[in-house]
Amino acid sequence: MKSKRLLGFRRRARVGINVVMVLIVLLLILPLWYVLNNAFKVEKEILRRPLVLLPSAATLDSVIRSFKAMKYPRVFMNSAVVFALSCALLISAGSLAAFGIAMAKSRFLNAVYVVLVAMITLPFQLAMVPLIFLLKGLRLMNSYLGTALVYSGWFLPFVVFLYTGFIRTVPKELEEAGRVDGCGLFRSYRSIYIPLLKSITGTVLILRGVPIWNDLLVPIITISRATMSTLPLKLYSFIASSGSSATRWNLVFGSTFLVSVPILFVFLFLQRYFVRGVVAGAIKG
Amino acid sequence: MGLAGLTQVQKRQLVCFLFTLPALAVVFVFFLFPMLRALLFSFTNWDGIARTYRWIGLKNFQTVVADSSFKQIVFNTLYLTIIYVPVLNVVALLLAVGVYNAGKAGNVYKAMLFFPNLLSMTVIGLIWNIIYRYNGLFNQFLKLVGLKVLVQDWLGQVNTVLPAMSVTIIWFAVGYYLLIYLAGLNTVPLELYESAEVEGVSAWQKLVRITIPLIAPSITINAVLSTIGIVTLFDLPFVLTGGGPGFKSQTIAMHVYAYAFQQLRTSYALALAVILGAFAILITSLQLRFLRRREEVIL
Repeated sequence: MKSKRLLGFRRRARVGINVVMVLIVLLLILPLWYVLNNAFKVEKEILRRPLVLLPSAATLDSVIRSFKAMKYPRVFMNSAVVFALSCALLISAGSLAAFGIAMAKSRFLNAVYVVLVAMITLPFQLAMVPLIFLLKGLRLMNSYLGTALVYSGWFLPFVVFLYTGFIRTVPKELEEAGRVDGCGLFRSYRSIYIPLLKSITGTVLILRGVPIWNDLLVPIITISRATMSTLPLKLYSFIASSGSSATRWNLVFGSTFLVSVPILFVFLFLQRYFVRGVVAGAIKG
Repeated sequence: MGLAGLTQVQKRQLVCFLFTLPALAVVFVFFLFPMLRALLFSFTNWDGIARTYRWIGLKNFQTVVADSSFKQIVFNTLYLTIIYVPVLNVVALLLAVGVYNAGKAGNVYKAMLFFPNLLSMTVIGLIWNIIYRYNGLFNQFLKLVGLKVLVQDWLGQVNTVLPAMSVTIIWFAVGYYLLIYLAGLNTVPLELYESAEVEGVSAWQKLVRITIPLIAPSITINAVLSTIGIVTLFDLPFVLTGGGPGFKSQTIAMHVYAYAFQQLRTSYALALAVILGAFAILITSLQLRFLRRREEVIL
C-alpha cells in the first residue's frame, strides 16, 4: 500500500526522485570517498588524481605507516577503555537511578528528576574550567577513570531521562507481581527490569556512547600525556597541529582512515539499530 | 536502627533514593558542583592556582565584554545559529521527503546520508580543511563546472570562512536530523494525501499544507536540538579553522576554551562560560515557548 502513493507523489515521479537523490547522495559522500581512496594510493597520485584509485597506484603503505606513527594499538586501547568505562558508568548508574525515580512515587525524587532534565541542555563549557582544577586536585588528570567520570557527570542527566521515560512505560504490575513473589526492589531491578532495558541501552550507546568515542573536547583538556591519548586527540595532535606546510598527504589520509574505520565497521553491522536509536532518543511518547 | 520506625512505603522510598545516589553523586561532583563554582568564581579574581581570591563583582564580565574579540565571537555565534538552524532544517526536511518517496532505495540513501554523523568531528574538520584549501577539492570542482571566478582560499578569508564552516557543519549534521524528520513523516496518515490528490492539490501545496503542519513535533525537536548543538559546538570548528583567520570564525564556546587553556585567563574563561550558559538557556527556553503548541516533546 505504502509503495503505491507516497506523500502525494505518483509512481512516475518516483524515477525522478531517485535520480535526484542518487546525485545528492553521491555529492554528499564524495568527501568520504576522497579520504578512502587516497588512504590506499602512493603519495604523488594523491595530488594528481584525488578522486580516482588506479590499481597500479594502489598501496597499503600509507595505512601501515600511519598505524606505526600513531602508535595505533595503544591509542585504540585508550579510546576503548575510556569508552567502556564511561558507558559502564552511564548504563549502570543511569538505569539504577531511573528505576529508583520511576518506582518511588516520591515528590522529592520527582523534583530531583526535573532538575536533572533541566541540566541536559546546560553547556559543558560552563563546568569545564573548575572541573579541570577538581580533577587535578583528585589526581584524576591523564587517567581513564577521570575522563570517564567527566563524561558520566555530563551525560548522566540525559541517560537517566531516557531510562526513566522507558521504565515508566513498563506496566507497574510487573514489579508488583515480583513483590508478591518476595522480590526485593533490587532483585526486581536486576532480574525483571534489566532484561527489558536492552533496546533503550542500545539507544544510550548510540546517542552518548558514539559521541564519547568521537569526542575531542574532553580528552583535549583531561589528557596531556601522549601515551594516554584517545583516537580523536591523537589525530588532532598528529595532523592538525603539525601545520599545513609540513603536510605529509599519505599520513593525513592514512591516519584519518584508521581513526574512522572502527565506527565504519560497527555501522555496517548494526545500521538498523543506529537509525532506531536516534529516533527513539528524539521522540518521547 | 531507626529503620524499624518507618512504614513500608517509607522504606521503599528510602531504597529508591539509595538507588539514585551513585548517579546523583557523580552528576553533583563532576558536573553541577563545577558549574556552581564557575558561577561563583566568575565574580572573583580567582586564577585557579592561588589560594586566595576576592570578590570583584562584575569586573570579569566587563573586561570580557569590552575585549576587542567579544563582538566578533558573539556575532559569529549568532551568525552560525541564524544561518545554520533554518538551512539545516529545510535541507534535512527536503532530503527526508526525498528519502521517504524514493521507495526501496530510500534505506540506502538514509544510511549514506546519516553516516558522516557517526564520524569524529576531528576527522570531519580535518577532511574539510583539506577540501577548502586553495588547491583543494572544492576549488577543483568549481573549475570543473566553469566557476573559476569563485576559486579562493575559503577558510583563509574573512568573508568566506563562516559560510564555508556552515556548509561543513550542515553536511556533518544533516543525516541525524533527517532521521528524526523521517520518523515524523512515517506518522502522517496516507489518506490525507490521497484525498488531496483527488482535489488536485499540487505537490508543493501538499508539503506546505499537510506535511509540515503534521510533523510539527519533529520540527520543534530538531529546532531545539540543532540550536543547542550549534551554540555549544566545539570540536568541528576548532579542528576546521581553529577560530581563524584572527577571530573571524571563533565562537563563544571556542573562546571559553581559548581563555582557559590557551591564554590561561581563568577568570575571563569563567565569566564567558557563564555568559554562554545564560545564552544557551535563554535561546532554548524562548524556542520552546514559540514552537511548542500541542505537541508533547522534550529533547
